[in-house]
Amino acid sequence: MLKSAILKQLETIVGKDGVLTAKADLATYAYDGTTTWSHAPDVVVLPNTTDQISKILNLANDNRIPVTPRGSGTNISGGSVPVNGGIVVCTTRMNRILDINKANLTATVEPGVVLQDFHNALAKENLFYPPDPQSFLSCTVGGTVAENSGGPMCIKYGVTKQYVLGLEIVLPDGYVMTLGGTTVKNRTGYDLVPLFTGSEGTLGIITKITLRLVPRPAARRTVMAIFDDMVRAGTVVSRILADGIVPAKIEFVDNFVIRRIEEKMKIGLPVDAKTMLLIECDGSVAAVESEAAQIVELLKKGGAKISRLARDDAEANTYWKARSAGFAAIYGAARTVVAEDCTVPRDRLSDFIEKLDEISKKSGFEIVLIGHAGDGNIHPSVFTNSREKEDLDRLQDTLTAIFEAALGLGGTLSGEHGIGLEKKRLLAKALDSRVISYMQRIKSIFDPNNIMNPDKIWERS
Amino acid sequence: MKASLVELSKFETETEQCMKCGFCSYVCPVYQEEKTESGVARGKNELVKRLMSGELEMNRELADRFYKCTSCMACTESCPAKAPIPRLLVAAKADITRTMGMRFPYGMVYRHLLPNRALFGRFLGAASVFQSVFMPKSNGIIRHLPNVLSGISKGRQIPSIASKFLRQQAPAVNKPRQGRSVMRVGYFTGCMNEFVLPHLGLKTIDFLTRHGIEVVMPREQSCCGAAAFLGGGDFETGRRIADANLAAFSGLDYIVTDCATCACTLKEYQRFLADTPERKEAYADFAGRVTHVSTFIADVVGLQASAFQTPAALKGKKLTWHDPCHLNRHLGSKEQPRRILKSLEDAKYIEMPGADRCCGMGGQFSMLNYELSQKIGQKKIESIESTEADIVVTACPGCQFQLLDGIVRLKKPQKVMSLMEVLG
Repeated sequence: MLKSAILKQLETIVGKDGVLTAKADLATYAYDGTTTWSHAPDVVVLPNTTDQISKILNLANDNRIPVTPRGSGTNISGGSVPVNGGIVVCTTRMNRILDINKANLTATVEPGVVLQDFHNALAKENLFYPPDPQSFLSCTVGGTVAENSGGPMCIKYGVTKQYVLGLEIVLPDGYVMTLGGTTVKNRTGYDLVPLFTGSEGTLGIITKITLRLVPRPAARRTVMAIFDDMVRAGTVVSRILADGIVPAKIEFVDNFVIRRIEEKMKIGLPVDAKTMLLIECDGSVAAVESEAAQIVELLKKGGAKISRLARDDAEANTYWKARSAGFAAIYGAARTVVAEDCTVPRDRLSDFIEKLDEISKKSGFEIVLIGHAGDGNIHPSVFTNSREKEDLDRLQDTLTAIFEAALGLGGTLSGEHGIGLEKKRLLAKALDSRVISYMQRIKSIFDPNNIMNPDKIWERS
Repeated sequence: MKASLVELSKFETETEQCMKCGFCSYVCPVYQEEKTESGVARGKNELVKRLMSGELEMNRELADRFYKCTSCMACTESCPAKAPIPRLLVAAKADITRTMGMRFPYGMVYRHLLPNRALFGRFLGAASVFQSVFMPKSNGIIRHLPNVLSGISKGRQIPSIASKFLRQQAPAVNKPRQGRSVMRVGYFTGCMNEFVLPHLGLKTIDFLTRHGIEVVMPREQSCCGAAAFLGGGDFETGRRIADANLAAFSGLDYIVTDCATCACTLKEYQRFLADTPERKEAYADFAGRVTHVSTFIADVVGLQASAFQTPAALKGKKLTWHDPCHLNRHLGSKEQPRRILKSLEDAKYIEMPGADRCCGMGGQFSMLNYELSQKIGQKKIESIESTEADIVVTACPGCQFQLLDGIVRLKKPQKVMSLMEVLG
């Protein structure tokens, strides 16, 4: 519990309306998008300005109170869960789009802008910001920068860090620091922008973001393909890329999800099919047409049972809607669901799928694949209805086996979700101890009192 | 789970549907204003779960958060798992009301006044005489609600109580104007058409009888019960009202109402109030017979476009449509009212942006959170204004009051009309 003097000071900084202390309010800031992590903060503060955040951090730093930054809390790593209590600084009220510069192809926003609102504003100007985490209807831009989020589009366009040109950061002592700028090229000393991008709220609070934009592609086409065999689908993905075709998205949906989707949505999918690939091409009209036609051919050659070019936007939308319903289908299926995020090089996709099949058979847990095949980030999800400790322990062992398989194939522990709480027990297996030690030392430079989102990313030593 | 959570326990499966993706936040009218997590379905579901697990206690603080929902169901529509969280809140309110009682003066009004038409009528009758004496007049048709109800209305601008109620102006049986009747329907008037807007009820009766339909208006009918059991969580009174309405409309194959909230509420008896196998069967049968008048004339009677004439006063006017949440998302009727309005040849229909966004009324929600309700309403008024329409049409007296309140407060030129009012 925080002293009432601290709460008073917080109220002075942001106003009564921006400080939540009721038990019922605190309970709603105890979680993020994971099913496993939960801990309520002592207070939630909803600032409106950078200056307010500066004062809040200064107060917290002087009193050694842990601070957890939070946007919409849709992350799936435990990263925004205030495991040590303290203050949650929630940026949802700082949601102004400050500037859209068509001539420089940049935009500057406050951290609480919801990604979909940003996408909508850009669409009006015929502009496009590619990173598209599937929580786009709720996640904040600040959150996506702090987590360096990806999404289906990343295969062609890259992840968030490839778009962040400049940041305004409030450091734990309240200092407001500007990094980068509004130029695409910027070579002035060490580049600290990508350090804060993906820092998971452990270094400071992002209060302003300048992003690089691209013109909106003129055309899009969607190709759908059904496979009997998951490994074969994985092989085709590698072949498409090897042929020099980089579509905007290549998404993987497995039989369980196809069935669940069909159950829920009744859109006429073959319910016996093992695997579905959803591929979207974008670009100029001519390029998209020829790319889509080549893909259909490659899919047929690669053994697709059905391979079909969506006639129009309506049909394409039906497929993509089903894809985004996919995770809900999985989450609705069991009490505990862990969506793994390990990622393998794209040419090892079919090997990874074979390994996952082995692990599933050995452990008895069903493993569902729904994710971004195009960048090797297929989100194997493991789930159970059991509440028995023994089963939950076995689930953790299975996750370890999955990620060891990914690492063995030259992959990584997390593609786009981040480490947070969910994967910190595995960090030492993925990184050299010296690398972790450098990370810890970097944190202590910016945050000597360790108030910023403590106990995330690595285990306490 | 705690024994006192009788109603919530029936929805345990539904509480497990939320995957915390937060898609509800993008469409939640409360969250869009306040940006706090307890305002949105995801947060409320967490509170319900913690109440059920015993981590949170039932108290006023928690109740206030459950009551901060307009029941617009936009969250459920946006939810990938279609989690019906506003319905959990109805169950939660029932458990709250049973254990903690209802706030004054709602309990008195819901339990005793609303269900008893004669008593409510006398009460409002007296009020309508006094309102012109005691209440300040504001621009003609709009006055403040009288004495006791002003505790509820919080100074809201709403139309005055009618000097003559609908039952005093229309007989119990209304035969078709000419020829034999092609159909016989029961007309559920609802409180607003009965006591405040009887001219709308007369319009509906007139329209139906002109199309060969016999309209029966049982005198024994009660309030729909929305305020008591959906808004206030008083299931006991809800059952009393439901049983009275079932008895009043027995033998009638169709029960038609022009209030979207009433139509929805009558159909919801089966979901919330069926505590015995007999009631379950009877309420389900009753629900099957209830139709909103727009669906009734467009689909059941199947009137063609030519049946809808533009009244002289509306010729050349621009109309736009506001979807009542109870009609649009609760009953799934999106297209029928638009079809009807578009068929009015001498008026121009303009679709407004965000036509299906909640107006912020939400019954008891707006009484407990009037300022918030006004803010939500303001966005709707801005949408209406952007269409440059002369008239905004809707089909729910609750929405109608909210739109009127906003338009008067913000000094906008638009008129608010009920769907049946624009059909000549």
